[in-house]
Amino acid sequence: MKFLSEYRDPALAQALARRIRETATRQWTLMEVCGGQTHTIVRQGLDELLAGAVEMIHGPGCPVCVTPLEQIDRAVALATRDDVIFTSFGDMLRVPGSDCDLQQVRARGGQVRIVYSPLDALTIAERHPDKQVVFFAVGFETTAPANAMAVWQARMRGIRNFSVLVSHVTVPPAMEAILSAPDNRVQGFLAAGHVCAVMGWTEYEPIAARYRVPIVVTGFEPLDLLEGMLLCVEQLERGTHEVVNQYARAVTREGNAPAMRLIREVFELKDRQWRGIGTIPMSGLGLRPAYAEFDAERRFALEDIVASEPVECRAGAVLTGQLKPHQCPMFGTACTPERPMGAPMVSSEGACAAYYNYGRFRTARAAATAGAGT
Amino acid sequence: MCLGIPGQVVELRDGGLVPSGVVDFGGARREVCLAYTPDVGVGDYVVVHVGFAITKVDEAEAKRTYDALAAMHELGELEAMREADATLADLDALPSKVGPGIVA
Ligand code: SF4
Repeated sequence: MKFLSEYRDPALAQALARRIRETATRQWTLMEVCGGQTHTIVRQGLDELLAGAVEMIHGPGCPVCVTPLEQIDRAVALATRDDVIFTSFGDMLRVPGSDCDLQQVRARGGQVRIVYSPLDALTIAERHPDKQVVFFAVGFETTAPANAMAVWQARMRGIRNFSVLVSHVTVPPAMEAILSAPDNRVQGFLAAGHVCAVMGWTEYEPIAARYRVPIVVTGFEPLDLLEGMLLCVEQLERGTHEVVNQYARAVTREGNAPAMRLIREVFELKDRQWRGIGTIPMSGLGLRPAYAEFDAERRFALEDIVASEPVECRAGAVLTGQLKPHQCPMFGTACTPERPMGAPMVSSEGACAAYYNYGRFRTARAAATAGAGT
Repeated sequence: MCLGIPGQVVELRDGGLVPSGVVDFGGARREVCLAYTPDVGVGDYVVVHVGFAITKVDEAEAKRTYDALAAMHELGELEAMREADATLADLDALPSKVGPGIVA
């Protein structure tokens, strides 16, 4: 199997997989929330390896995937302006907007710049006081401390030509939305280690108790994921539902206190729209009134730009586990990484692209052909 | 987007608004904000994400993570750093395109 040759400790991985299969008296349905973990699971074929014991549903944890179409359209509108240098993490450039993506704006001469850190955007703003520099502040709890710092520093240093287009989402409300859906299938969660390095896991404790689901904070390597699955399956078999930390090497229960402090200083909880899922109450972050002057939506009056998502794209069903990517009728035909229809096909961390890139496309085709023959 | 990359702090810089330092990632070096790991010193290992150290790790964990990222071809964070540095250099090199006001 592919993952044996690619991973450096195949014996240990095999042993963990065997223990999962021995422990499970039935097939359990788990969700990994993080897109990085989705990527590893599909790439290494962990889900196929554990078929019959564990079914993995790929959750909404890819910020590129869940940024709503509307925010992409707003980004495109900003990037098209002559007075704006639009800055973004590289992943966002190919996310399709209603008419085009940021990469196309750049190809047509728009000032779209890829930065590594939001502080780079601040540097650009400082060096170009005659321009408006906007940073596309997207992501989960992992990027929130960085984006909060950029805004805080802009105010402290009086950099007034800087603003942020915010599309920040947080993990726990999305988990709750999935668990409380009437057709929910998720029985246990692997929570993302790097998200928890920032926020800790205290917020997961009431969710585990309320919905009676085990939640295992898990790293992103294949061995971490297998161990996380085992810890989850053990709890399901025992009937317990606690938050357990597989990733003690980098995560503590309280998380990163100074980072959380600055996030709370700059941002407040806000309803957020998730691409393909819709609005989840209090599921994201927006700037506090004290920092409103750095809000690009306000500065450039972007509220009028609204967009509705294409009905053919089943991203919502994919991101909530109702549908596997290859079950979407557009998968691999009308929708490919070269011409993505929906965000989960854009980023390599998106479930649709992961399935496409790692051969599930062929599996889907073969299954479809076989199905058509019978 | 959410995976960080481990590196070793090789220099501390003060005088800024918040603490920062230089972190070495298997040979590549970059200035990193240390505001969220205020207790780190030269020689310590940190996981860095979009220019910020978010957690301190021990040397063994740093190495393990780095190797795993390399094995999985997931050193995107490093590529993003390189690309971004090119962006900044590019903006500096083309003052006429973006107007005056450049300070070194
Ligand atoms: S395959 Fe394409 S159209 Fe279908 S859900 Fe995924 S992104 Fe949307």
